[in-house]
Amino acid sequence: MKAETPRADPASAAGEPASPPAGKNRPLWLHLVGLPGVTAVAVLSAMVLPIPLAVILALFTASLAAWSAAALASRIRTSEQERCSLDAQLVQSQKLAAIGEMSAGIAHEINNPMAIIAQESDWMTHLMSQPQVTPENLAELRDSLAEIVRQVDRCKAITHNLLNFSRKMDPILQQEHLERIMEDMVLLVEKEAKLQGVSIVRDYDPELAAIQTDVPLLRQVVLNLLLNAFQAIPGQGTITVSTRPAGADRVAIAVADTGAGILPENMSKIFNPFFTTKPPGVGTGLGLSMCHGIVDRLGGAITVESEPGRGAKFTVTLPR
Amino acid sequence: MPDPIRVLVVDDEDRFRTTLVKLLGAQGLFAEAASGGEQALALLAEKPFDVVLLDVKMPGESGQEVLPRIKAVAPGVEVLILTGHASVDIAAEMIAGGAADYLLKPCPLDELVGCVRAVYDRRKAVGAG
Ligand SMILES: Nc1ncnc2c1ncn2[C@@H]1O[C@H](COP(=O)(O)OP(=O)(O)O)[C@@H](O)[C@H]1O
Ligand SMILES: [Mg+2]
Repeated sequence: MKAETPRADPASAAGEPASPPAGKNRPLWLHLVGLPGVTAVAVLSAMVLPIPLAVILALFTASLAAWSAAALASRIRTSEQERCSLDAQLVQSQKLAAIGEMSAGIAHEINNPMAIIAQESDWMTHLMSQPQVTPENLAELRDSLAEIVRQVDRCKAITHNLLNFSRKMDPILQQEHLERIMEDMVLLVEKEAKLQGVSIVRDYDPELAAIQTDVPLLRQVVLNLLLNAFQAIPGQGTITVSTRPAGADRVAIAVADTGAGILPENMSKIFNPFFTTKPPGVGTGLGLSMCHGIVDRLGGAITVESEPGRGAKFTVTLPR
Repeated sequence: MPDPIRVLVVDDEDRFRTTLVKLLGAQGLFAEAASGGEQALALLAEKPFDVVLLDVKMPGESGQEVLPRIKAVAPGVEVLILTGHASVDIAAEMIAGGAADYLLKPCPLDELVGCVRAVYDRRKAVGAG
């Protein structure tokens, strides 16, 4: 029985009229006409009427004018709010689309390692149900365990990268030299790079003054660009890091490599979350989209130039 | 004893492929693996398979692109989609394209094997009838 009663509209249930209050429906022009009108009445009455009466009337008309002005202001506010809420709706639907795309990406990236973990567990169960544990079985068990740990690390890399997306939006600004920020990250990757035959060339502008920026965030950007550059070089090669002034009020940092470069058809996709050309487990496709998000927050821009086969150059410009 | 069901696993994840082949073997099925569309098509041209387990998101040709080519090379083979990609649209599209079913990773082994046996039995019934 209960289910058959149609669900009541909360507004009509509370006994409110269906139509909005009359004042809200008054056309805008009435307020515009009313405002100078009542003011004129007040001025005129002050000229012709005895003083006490004029004062009362003036006060009355002034309050009328004030009411009218307030109504006009609220009216303008309302229409502005309506426009804002339309904008907000648009942004919201774009956000929802992005979240949908993002969720599919996350699901895929997490489902794959989970499937491997489940299979390794199944295989371990199979091995342990054998009548006796041979040394070969033991080695396989160890190998499966190690694989599970690897796949958990893979999931961790994804979720930790996602947490960076959800980090509080306000950057914490501090004064720092760009060269310092870059050099910290270069030192982090240089040893491994050298071992693989990749040398790092520094091309810092010594004149460049320190800037106000969020140092940990910018470090993440530089590290991601360096890792991508390193991963793009198949054998031996060079990564060049640089800092430059970019006009009067901006600075630029760049990471260039002599690697594989980016195919023209991929250029528009590389900043999308989960876009990757790297094998599963190596690429998450989150690095550049995170860089883009951070640079946006810092009030800067990130651009890329590339000639396939010759390498790529990522440039980040930032406000000073 | 009846011939074991011959399964071809097509997936770009090395570890996923190799362990699944071992697991299916332990379940009494005959399994082989291919890392992508091209290798799968070459294997299908070479020898008969009953069921293909096909991933969707692979570098190079995607599962959607490979599916009609599999059906062209081996019209009798049953294709089961096994993927981490949760998209109703892609599932619907691939089932319309001739896939027998759509399984989401991680899929429990008994469910997967059950599904493989079910499509195999259905195919045999259709073939006999
Ligand atoms: N320096 C580079 N050279 C060539 N390709 C690059 C470079 N940096 C990024 N890319 C391309 O952009 C893709 C996305 O990069 P990213 O978002 O960092 O994710 P991931 O590195 O995990 O693949 C890479 O898979 C690669 O195809
Ligand atoms: Mg990267």
